[in-house]
Amino acid sequence: MEIEKALNGTELTLKIIGRLDTVTAPELEACLKESLDGVANLVMDFAALDYISSAGLRVILQAQKTMNKQGDMLIKNVNETINEVFEMTGFVDILNIE
Amino acid sequence: MSNKLKKISTSFQQWLLLIVGIAFIVTLVFLGQYQTKLFTDSANNLLNIYIKDVRHDIMDVTDKNLLILTRAVATEVNNADKITSELLTGMLEKYNVTEINYFSSTGVILASSNADFVGYTIGEGGVQTSEFWSLLGARTEYVQRFQPIGFDAQRSRKYAGVTLAAGGFIQVGYDEEAYYRAIEVAINEVVKNRHVGESGFLIVTDSAWRIISDRANNKNQPVTIVTAMTKDLTTIGKDEMFEEGIYIDGTLQRCFCMHNEIEGYKVIAVYPYSEAMVSRNVSLKVMTVMQILIFGLLFVMIFLLVRRLIVKNLHQVNHALSAITDGNLETVVNVRSHEEFDALSNDINATVDTLKRYIKEAEERIDAELAFAKSIQHAALPSVFPPYPERKEFEIFATMHTAKEVGGDFYDFYFVDDENLAFLMADVSGKGIPAAMFMMTAKTFIKSFAESGLSVEQVFTHANAKLCEGNDAGMFVTAWLGILNTKTGQVQFANAGHNPPLVRHADGTYEYLKSRAGFVLAGMEGVRYRKNELTLAPGDAIYLYTDGVTEATNLNEELYGEERLQKILEQHKDATPETICAEVKKDVDKFVGEAPQFDDITMLAIRYEGTEN
Repeated sequence: MEIEKALNGTELTLKIIGRLDTVTAPELEACLKESLDGVANLVMDFAALDYISSAGLRVILQAQKTMNKQGDMLIKNVNETINEVFEMTGFVDILNIE
Repeated sequence: MSNKLKKISTSFQQWLLLIVGIAFIVTLVFLGQYQTKLFTDSANNLLNIYIKDVRHDIMDVTDKNLLILTRAVATEVNNADKITSELLTGMLEKYNVTEINYFSSTGVILASSNADFVGYTIGEGGVQTSEFWSLLGARTEYVQRFQPIGFDAQRSRKYAGVTLAAGGFIQVGYDEEAYYRAIEVAINEVVKNRHVGESGFLIVTDSAWRIISDRANNKNQPVTIVTAMTKDLTTIGKDEMFEEGIYIDGTLQRCFCMHNEIEGYKVIAVYPYSEAMVSRNVSLKVMTVMQILIFGLLFVMIFLLVRRLIVKNLHQVNHALSAITDGNLETVVNVRSHEEFDALSNDINATVDTLKRYIKEAEERIDAELAFAKSIQHAALPSVFPPYPERKEFEIFATMHTAKEVGGDFYDFYFVDDENLAFLMADVSGKGIPAAMFMMTAKTFIKSFAESGLSVEQVFTHANAKLCEGNDAGMFVTAWLGILNTKTGQVQFANAGHNPPLVRHADGTYEYLKSRAGFVLAGMEGVRYRKNELTLAPGDAIYLYTDGVTEATNLNEELYGEERLQKILEQHKDATPETICAEVKKDVDKFVGEAPQFDDITMLAIRYEGTEN
């Protein structure tokens, strides 16, 4: 997995490339932990995300919870496979998916 | 950090440069002093040689001059009838001499220009006259050095003697004033045609240090005024070199000087210091260049040697250490070129071995603890089949094949009352001990709420609220809960973000139960869940699973997927739950092949048999 970070004022865009699974989820978790201070708008670009496991969902959920307190989180470019996972797990109800 | 710290090679370079620099300067100073002494000695020799030459020449000139005079006197005496004091006195003025004596063959003065000397015998007055004994033997001519006379030690005079035809000899003596005039030209020649080195020179003075001859015709001037000499020459020993500022061509120059005397003359030689040291400076320059080359070469060679021996080896050690730090504990440090590096290599290798042993022990301990945790987890799940042998309305079977790591999958089933059977499949996010512990909590909450008689959606709503409390780790559970009415075959179910189960229809086909799922449990407070219903006809079945089944991956990174699962189930449409579970596992294993299992593979199948039998 690779993470491309782009900070524009208080808007942080994270592009996640590859697989978000048990092995790589802690990496994203660490990245979020150090980057979210002062961020009002978090955008997660999933255009290049191939796979998400429950560990990955957990990190997304945590990010959503954090952003609920300090602003908004938007997930965009979700492909069909990932969207199925979001639907199956009910994440579609709590995430702001574009 | 490495930017701020010096490299060993740099430190070494600096120290080496300092030491080589000091050695260079010390050697240079030593060589400089040695060379100065060498060239001072050589100036001393040079001055000595010139003084000696000049003295020799002056001696020659004076000897010849007096001998010629004496021969002339002797010839005249030989021709005279009688040798009288009057005759001798008469010749004084003619030959411009001071004294003429006639010695008999027995060495007694028979006649003299000085009446007092008549009757005097050779040797009476001391050493000076006794030298003339030789003329009474084999010699016919003798010239004596200018020296104090035997008669009066306060006066000096030069004597020569020539034997007479009739026996005895004539002795002629003259004072310095007399021969100074006589040999002036010759003395001038001696000095003028000589120079010491390029610009050094010679001066001849009389006994009172007045110049008789020098390069610039300063005749009769005191030598101290002409040369600006401040030293009192009478206090400086003969042939003893000394340094003095001397006027040469109008400028005062540091010079080496030396003096001596001969025949009443004083001879002074002057040699400029700068000229004496020209050669020294040249050799010093050559030596400096040589030294720079030698020390430079030494510096480069030592530096390269050290870099080769130490820095290169250190790099090798560091390289190995980096590999070890990066996690490759199989790396062996093997720098054996020197005893110290050998010891270092051994120490590092021993440390890494110890580390490996500790890690292995820790791993073993963790493995043992995980195995223990797994067995606790397994024990918490119903594992005796058939669980309700007296119940003929349904058949149920479940398995969990755990991956190496402890996972968060679990299944459960229990009667909530006499005729309603709750059955559950769930998956906790993440892996390891935290997931296993969270699973136990979730299982307990769900069971207690289900057993309290709540409907499925309320069970989830309450369990969610409880699980959200103090869930700082942000864990969550996906779960599917069904409650089967064993009398009617009606199933009430709720889905909290779990994989959709497969339901067997009467025609033997399986269908995914894609009801709209609720949000996962423990994910967010206040989530509400929906209740759905379906009715099973006798022979229908429900197959529950976790993503360990559909996301089982083979070596080509392909997922097992929902289609394959549906297909294998339809191939065994009439199988018992136990067979269904076994066949699915078999098919998954076949698909995965050699690829390692990352996730728990958990499944539960329940077949409704109806109440007829």
